[in-house]
Amino acid sequence: MPLLELQNLKKYFATQKAVDDISLSIEPGSIFGLLGPNGAGKTTLIRMITGIFYPDEGQIIFDGKKFDPVNDIGRIGYMPEERGLYKKMKIGEQTLYLAQLKGLTRSDATKKIKEWFIRFEMESWWNKKVEDLSKGMQQKLQFVTTVLHEPKLIILDEPFSGLDPVNSNLIKEEIYKLAQSGTTVIFSTHRMEQVEEICSQIVLVNKGQKILDGTVKEVKQNFKENLFSIGVNQLPGSLNGNSPFEVVGNKEQAFVVRIKAGSKPNDVLQYLLQQGSEIHSFNEILPSLNDIFIKLVEGTPTARQFQQVNN
Amino acid sequence: MNKILLIIKREYLTKVRKKTFIISTLLFPLLYLGLIFGIGYLGEKSKKNLTVAVVDSSGYFDAGRIARANGKDSSSVLVLTNMKVDSLKENLGATSFDAFVVIPAIDDWKNGLRNIPLQADKTLGMETAMPVQSKLNNIWGEIKNEKLGISDSTINQLESSQVTIKPVNINDENADSKIAGTIGYVAGFLIYFILLIYGSQVMMGVMEEKTNRIAEVIVSSVKPFQLMLGKILGIGLVALTQFFLWIAFIFIVYNVTKASGAGDSVSGMVGGVQKVFSSINVPLVLFCFVFYFLGGFFFYSSLYAAIGSAVNEDMREAQSLSFPVTMLVIFSIALMSMAMNDPTGPIAVWGSIIPFSSPIVMMARIPYGVPGTVPWWHLGLSMALLIAGFVFTTWFAGKIYRTGILMYGKKPTWKELIKWAFRKN
Repeated sequence: MPLLELQNLKKYFATQKAVDDISLSIEPGSIFGLLGPNGAGKTTLIRMITGIFYPDEGQIIFDGKKFDPVNDIGRIGYMPEERGLYKKMKIGEQTLYLAQLKGLTRSDATKKIKEWFIRFEMESWWNKKVEDLSKGMQQKLQFVTTVLHEPKLIILDEPFSGLDPVNSNLIKEEIYKLAQSGTTVIFSTHRMEQVEEICSQIVLVNKGQKILDGTVKEVKQNFKENLFSIGVNQLPGSLNGNSPFEVVGNKEQAFVVRIKAGSKPNDVLQYLLQQGSEIHSFNEILPSLNDIFIKLVEGTPTARQFQQVNN
Repeated sequence: MNKILLIIKREYLTKVRKKTFIISTLLFPLLYLGLIFGIGYLGEKSKKNLTVAVVDSSGYFDAGRIARANGKDSSSVLVLTNMKVDSLKENLGATSFDAFVVIPAIDDWKNGLRNIPLQADKTLGMETAMPVQSKLNNIWGEIKNEKLGISDSTINQLESSQVTIKPVNINDENADSKIAGTIGYVAGFLIYFILLIYGSQVMMGVMEEKTNRIAEVIVSSVKPFQLMLGKILGIGLVALTQFFLWIAFIFIVYNVTKASGAGDSVSGMVGGVQKVFSSINVPLVLFCFVFYFLGGFFFYSSLYAAIGSAVNEDMREAQSLSFPVTMLVIFSIALMSMAMNDPTGPIAVWGSIIPFSSPIVMMARIPYGVPGTVPWWHLGLSMALLIAGFVFTTWFAGKIYRTGILMYGKKPTWKELIKWAFRKN
């Protein structure tokens, strides 16, 4: 049973169809990538899942039941892209306050905060103010406040922006650990290499609509262009018309070839062996998510245009 | 509900622990007293007692009469002189005189003396010059009495037998309109200050949460309305705390002075305070003050919260959008001063019933007496309307707040704000 299911969700603003009929479902314990260019409707979608906005149409099913913001938001942790903390408030008090707002008791919250602060080497921060922290330190603190109440669903909007590689890794490890212990993570970003590394499933939205949905593997398979990298000492001098591939490039002692429609990789190998070539390597080249993203989003206007919405 | 309490607690504790709260709580009474005494002191100091040379050509203003007049009051000193007018004019700076008057020869005393120049080497204000006129009149009065043959005993009878009036309210024999007026004035102004100062604190607090982007984190835990209400209630409690600290301060000062015992000024002050207590209904005034203070605060601060949620970090945007609301508060103070002159007139009655001005205007009327000046139904209607008023503004503000707190970009107009308030979810 999926932890979160969106059914035909719609949210129209006066000049934009921010979310226009999006459905998706997320399995528990998965790390789910929500991708899309700026202004695609990701934030609006997230705000509906966190109970900040009500959808105009459609349904949100959370943990098997219709989503009830008042009771369910205690089981969701949300870290918005624009980080927000009280600048002048002491860090310990602030974390305690935010945890209590999520429904934790004071003693429970204190205990958990101490654990996390030790884990993230933040013990000395308790009586400091947020304005004393660097941007990266604030980021770590924000992450702690997001996951402290052990939510079933964590929504992270660009969680690594502003973090150095060491702290990025620290948070990445925590995200993996949370997923392993059954927490579902929605991860919204434009940084495709991180998505490839972390996410098991992705959805790409553009102009308020879902244009891609699947596991990273599936998506890559769907968008592959039958490209292979062949390492050979020498390609046959001239390719005759019935060769099963064409050469599209060559780099570092390897040739990039596209297999013609109707042929299989084995046909290529067979052909090369018959021609007496010596093969060192033979790899399929799958497109990167970055390429797929650009390919799908390219051609649509980079900034969303305002339009009249009749509702 | 529990979450609102958390928000109130945070709001209250952060504000009360701030240095500015402690300083303003201590400083305000001192500044207030300083202002009152300082103005009196400066006024006293800037008043100058003139020494005026009198050049008499009439023969009436002789040394004896001038000496008697100087003996009666000391607000100016007249000195009879033989100096010539020309030399006085030239050498006035070198003499000990501030100014001089020349009394012309008098043909007929019945015509009096009109427009006698009081000549000085600088421009004299009316307030400084008037004592000289009244002193000359004093002397002139003596001359008239002699001419008319009126004896001293007749003069005494004339002066001591007079008609004076004292306003008495038949419903409330104890009411002293002077004391009531002062109390009402102070109470009205106090509410005025609290509305403006704490109202803008609510606005700044909301703006801070919005520009810090903490609002988005918090509204994923609580409803926007709860966040807004928590902020308003928390800051309202801070204002109430400050008010009670001041009351306690006055109480302590009063008791300490009373205990310090003798001295005319002390017993005079103690007597004055006792007179206040006997002439007004203190518990009722205090209760009404807290009620109107809270009612007015909720009424206005929710509007300020809505404005804070609608603007970005730019203070000028906030100022221009809050201008109409601030104008309402200032307009109420103008209504109050009109109501003070006529506490039962139509301006006073309507001003104290309509919610936006009632917190200030009603507070100015109540010390005059309930039900003497303010009938019970006025008070009841005014309170009911104020409650209805702040329930409405809070609802209205909540709708704007919900949209505004997550909206970044262009500053909306009031027209757009009203649209936000009345559209469906």
